[in-house]
Amino acid sequence: MHTDSLLASAVYLIVFPGFIFLTAYGLFLQWVDRKLCAVMQNRVGPPWYQPTADFIKLLAKETIIPDACDTAIFKVLPYFAIAAVISALMLIPLWKTESLFAPFQGNMVVVVYLLTIPTVTFFLAGWSSASPYSTVGSMRVLTQLFAYEVPLMLSLIGPAILAGSWNLSEISVFFAGRPALMAAQLIGFLVAILALQGKLERMPFDIPHAKNEIVGGQFTEYSGRLLAYFNLAVDMELVVGAALLSAVFLGGAWGLYGAAGLALFLAKTLAVTFLLALLKVLMARLRIEQMVNFCWKILAPMAMAQILLDIVIKSRL
Amino acid sequence: MSKITIPLGPQHPALKEPENFMLVLEGEQIENATINLGYNHRGMEKAAEERTFIQNMYLLERVCGICSHSHTTCYVTNVEEAAKAEVPERALAIRVLVGELERVHSHLLWLGVAAYEIGFETLFMYTWRDREQVLDCLELLSGNRVHYSINTIGGVRRDITPEQKNEVLKRINFLEERTKYYIKVATEEPTVRARAANVGKLPYEVALERGAVGPTARASGVKRDVRKDAPYLLYDKLDFNLITHDSCDVFGRVVVRALELMESYKLIKQVLNYLPEGPLTVKVPPRIAPAEVVNLYEAPRGEDIHYLKTNGTDKPERLKVRAPTLANLQSVTYMLEGGWLADVPLVIAAIDPCMSCTDRAMVYDRKTDKTQVYDWEDLRRLGIEAYKRKGVDFSKF
Amino acid sequence: MSEFAKEEELKKMLENKFGAGVSAVDIRRARRVWLEAAPEKLVEILKFMKAAGYNHISTITGFDEGENLGAFYHATDNHIMATIKVKTPLSSPKLPTITGIFPGAISYERELEDLFGIKIEGLAPGRRYPLSDDFPKDQYPLRKSWKTADFQAARKSASAKEAK
Repeated sequence: MHTDSLLASAVYLIVFPGFIFLTAYGLFLQWVDRKLCAVMQNRVGPPWYQPTADFIKLLAKETIIPDACDTAIFKVLPYFAIAAVISALMLIPLWKTESLFAPFQGNMVVVVYLLTIPTVTFFLAGWSSASPYSTVGSMRVLTQLFAYEVPLMLSLIGPAILAGSWNLSEISVFFAGRPALMAAQLIGFLVAILALQGKLERMPFDIPHAKNEIVGGQFTEYSGRLLAYFNLAVDMELVVGAALLSAVFLGGAWGLYGAAGLALFLAKTLAVTFLLALLKVLMARLRIEQMVNFCWKILAPMAMAQILLDIVIKSRL
Repeated sequence: MSKITIPLGPQHPALKEPENFMLVLEGEQIENATINLGYNHRGMEKAAEERTFIQNMYLLERVCGICSHSHTTCYVTNVEEAAKAEVPERALAIRVLVGELERVHSHLLWLGVAAYEIGFETLFMYTWRDREQVLDCLELLSGNRVHYSINTIGGVRRDITPEQKNEVLKRINFLEERTKYYIKVATEEPTVRARAANVGKLPYEVALERGAVGPTARASGVKRDVRKDAPYLLYDKLDFNLITHDSCDVFGRVVVRALELMESYKLIKQVLNYLPEGPLTVKVPPRIAPAEVVNLYEAPRGEDIHYLKTNGTDKPERLKVRAPTLANLQSVTYMLEGGWLADVPLVIAAIDPCMSCTDRAMVYDRKTDKTQVYDWEDLRRLGIEAYKRKGVDFSKF
Repeated sequence: MSEFAKEEELKKMLENKFGAGVSAVDIRRARRVWLEAAPEKLVEILKFMKAAGYNHISTITGFDEGENLGAFYHATDNHIMATIKVKTPLSSPKLPTITGIFPGAISYERELEDLFGIKIEGLAPGRRYPLSDDFPKDQYPLRKSWKTADFQAARKSASAKEAK
């Protein structure tokens, strides 16, 4: 029994839905995102294997480590980012109602904090690179973290209050049975989508690595394998972020399991990716201070309004 | 927070051409900015003294890729004035036509670049797609997309047929519709407004003081447009408005350029429907008696000035070219200081800089930083050898 | 001569104000006035012209006439282009800076220093423009005595020596 569960855990972590599946699906979502943007921008866009080809190409390239940087931290950070993202995925219900590991009260909070770790590694990556562009980039990473993290957390609190649970699978079960209440979470969902866009550092919040201003931002000095893994971590984060939103706001697996549940999971993450791509092409990049203003003055009050609405609804139930 | 000095260029994703800005940052804000230029110096003024008037026309076309017609027209006007040649009106009309098409292509290009610098890639893709229309017009009229070579001393090289006229009109009508849409996007989209309004302020007095020209000056309320102030070619016979804006910021520069596009469409239609009958060229003798002339031209980026001195031979004694970017660059440092790092690319792009216009004069090409000098013969030989290694022998041709 | 009324007005204005300081004031065609000025009067003339509306220096063109170097200052009120010719001897070429009146003229003056070797008195220190940092400091490419072929030959022999 013990060895069985150990083996199952290993398969979950490494093959499915862990490293291998997440890599494949992350690269696929990156392609979907790029292709959607291209179509919306009246371009042809890349072929489906482009992200994979990019990844393999980067793996084969020379990894250059600057003399001035802190070598150990510089090398280890990409793996930390990937590990944190995979761990977060394990706590989210995917193709069935229960999550794979740790179905305890409060795992939503753990997921959010696990998803903060990649951002912190981005900051450290820029800071340890010791180049002016990376330094400015990593300062922006941190500034932005403080801006979007609060609206993101607030937007997740609303559904949790309504469902009366901090457990992701319980929240998804609660909303799967009550479509009307799910529809009432629209404001919170919008806030979460925008905050997720900030977390993933995508247009209009790709300020930390705005190429016209600070070249590659926090990743300026990264190259070869290390850069490949950082890029992969960002792709994986897209999957996990989409999965989190689908579990909290879209009712998770709707009681389905197995192949049908998986199909539903893929459909929902694709839908979230579509929304994220739409945001990306619609807007120009903001300035960092405009971004902070926007998050604190517009997103956070919107999320608060959603929480108030949820409290009112709950008192009427 | 400690101060960070950030080098912007000579190689940087925001800059399409080599120039260097040293920015001293206090957090995200710029405390001090200095410009370093000269990375693109090609020695054109010296080279012009060793070439004949006709050869110089092709040399000057290469001062700048975007405003190739501006420089040659200004130069050719100078030569014609020195030789006291009366250029036929049809040739002047064709020069105006190509000049305005060039302005359209340059302003559309600029709109795309500005959108790209604020990270609005969709607008960038759209404008550059539509810019193909005007490039197609130019190709139709001159055979080339960028170096039109339509001018020759004493007139123009190609006529316009009625079919060409209709085709150009068709495309211009299409572009007019698209431009209306872009004006709407650029002035109403909230993120564009947020990034462009109150950015890169250049007050009226400073614009005058620092000698700003073109759309940069006009967006600061300076009524300066050579086409109106000192009409050349046929501009005194055409009806168009001088566009100014008094917001003195990047947003104003967007508006000025967008509205100038509309004026250019108007001009193109007028010229196409005007086109007086007559010859295309007059004969100008190869040797030109001693004279000194100076002429101005309103290039898409602003006032372009050429000075020409002839000495009775077939080569100029002295030729001076001042491209608009050099006049505008002194304003850039003013606009940058006190601004945000994030706005730097946009502010620099807002003057529509063209470094290859600005830097001219080095007589040789250098490879790496070794003092290896290649002259024209060497380069030719190297090229032939390189192809020989690939199995193609050009020396036989 | 009523068609050149404005040009005549400028001519009269300058001749009255500066007398012998300006010479050879010539209206060559509509909107083009050419004149010669003494170097020491240049700043004063430009200051006066700026007050009279000629508030834009289009550019400064350096020239080499053999015995004399010099520069044309192209000042304009957007309608009339007044070109002021100022000479300075080749033996010790120097001109006053006009950046006090037209701060935007700084790069034009640097060009004069770099390409003609005319010392601009009062010009703020800064990086050279437009020549590259490793270009010989005592060579001025736009002077007539400077030949491209000589320069290339010198560079070639220098690099050949280095190769040995």
